Amino acid sequence: MSDKGRPPASTCDSVRERMTLHFYGAAEEPEALQRHLEGCAGCAALWARTVATLRSVDAAAVFPREHEVDWAGFARGTVARARAAEQAQGAVAVTPFRARTAGRRAFVWGGALAAAAMLVVLAGLRMRHGAPPPLAAAHQPGPAAEGRDGARFLQESVTRQAAARSLRDGRALLVDLMQAPVRCRRSDGSYDVALEKTRANDLLRRVSLYQGSLAGPGDRRLAELLGQLESLLLQVSAMDDCTAVQAIHDLRAAIERRQLLLRIDLVTREVEEGGTRA
Amino acid sequence: MEPDDFALMEAVREDREGAFERFVARFQRRLYRLAWGYLRQHDDALDAVQETMVKIYLARATYRPASHPFTWASRILANQCLDHLRRRKARPSESLEAAQEARPGSDLTAGDPRDTPEHHHEQSEFRRRVREAVALLPESQREVFVLRHFEDMTLEEIAVTRGCALGTVKSSLHRAAAAVRERLERGAREPRAGEGRG
Repeated sequence: MSDKGRPPASTCDSVRERMTLHFYGAAEEPEALQRHLEGCAGCAALWARTVATLRSVDAAAVFPREHEVDWAGFARGTVARARAAEQAQGAVAVTPFRARTAGRRAFVWGGALAAAAMLVVLAGLRMRHGAPPPLAAAHQPGPAAEGRDGARFLQESVTRQAAARSLRDGRALLVDLMQAPVRCRRSDGSYDVALEKTRANDLLRRVSLYQGSLAGPGDRRLAELLGQLESLLLQVSAMDDCTAVQAIHDLRAAIERRQLLLRIDLVTREVEEGGTRA
Repeated sequence: MEPDDFALMEAVREDREGAFERFVARFQRRLYRLAWGYLRQHDDALDAVQETMVKIYLARATYRPASHPFTWASRILANQCLDHLRRRKARPSESLEAAQEARPGSDLTAGDPRDTPEHHHEQSEFRRRVREAVALLPESQREVFVLRHFEDMTLEEIAVTRGCALGTVKSSLHRAAAAVRERLERGAREPRAGEGRG
């Protein structure tokens, strides 16, 4: 190519700069750019390499397992999970709130009663010994406060025990599903999980009761496990009553991948053995 | 005629029959590809998409049309993925699993039976490099690249869905594509460290 016909270097720079956008049809002045490519061997070679390289970036390479997914089935499962989650949330919004309020009220009354009982005992002691009440007592936490602290401790402990019980029940349900599913009457090899679905829904309601109450830093593992169990329970709850073998396999894979059964064992044992925090 | 994204989201908010099903079908693969970019593990990416859709459904009443539904969905997804990555850091066994899934040769799909093992290996190695080239992009560039390169969205659509200027999208796409090209060409010139030994 003669110097006269060669495009100026600045044009080459500008063309090379815009080349990737040109590939996506988004470069400015595309006609001028194309004319330049037709007249400049260096830029044309780079353009050919750019096209070949970017064309080689295909979805199969970047998302190698996307084609394995039955997207229509996945969408159905997602919708069912979302609706089940809303139902479970609805249960939390009504029943648990009442339960929690009632529970809190019971603890407050319990604390007040404990405080009253202690006052009666103290008054009795004063009458018996005739001793004046110690001045320092005015600055000590009152019996009502102690009662409330005790009640809170007791409530946290009860919540942890209940959460551990739900984890154990969830574990039993998952083991049942993985090990001894009942065949459906249909002859397509599917499994009857209607009973497990009912159990999963019951458990979801129970699990949602504790999650908000396990907010302490020491309860992190327990809360995390409950979250993962909830996710699997939602999956179970979203299954068809006669579910395909593949759905059971997928569930098993998810459980094994997360080593969920072992982790539930460890954490629930800690709670049972008196570890106050899991 | 299919409703546009805003109209579809409005229908989801109003609980119109079949609206959420259409929403899931429309966005699930796009979200999966974004999730894969973060997590690089198939099952986790699927979990993240499903969790995101559940959150969208539960929070549909709080959606405000100031942002594009996909922008909203992708932000929820990003948070979901970042939470997952934080948990993965706390449990390194999952990272090992991810490494196992992304290992060279793991994507040897059943192909042409005439292919030789060497050819398979080369293909597999090339795919690994492609995957890595995309995965190593910064988050915002990767998102724009994925939406344009794989989803065929126009730059204007990407700008609307991401809530940013067209110039920003152009610049991100240019940088991303140039980086991918550069990594792939460099990878083709230089064999991987350790390759060809023993």
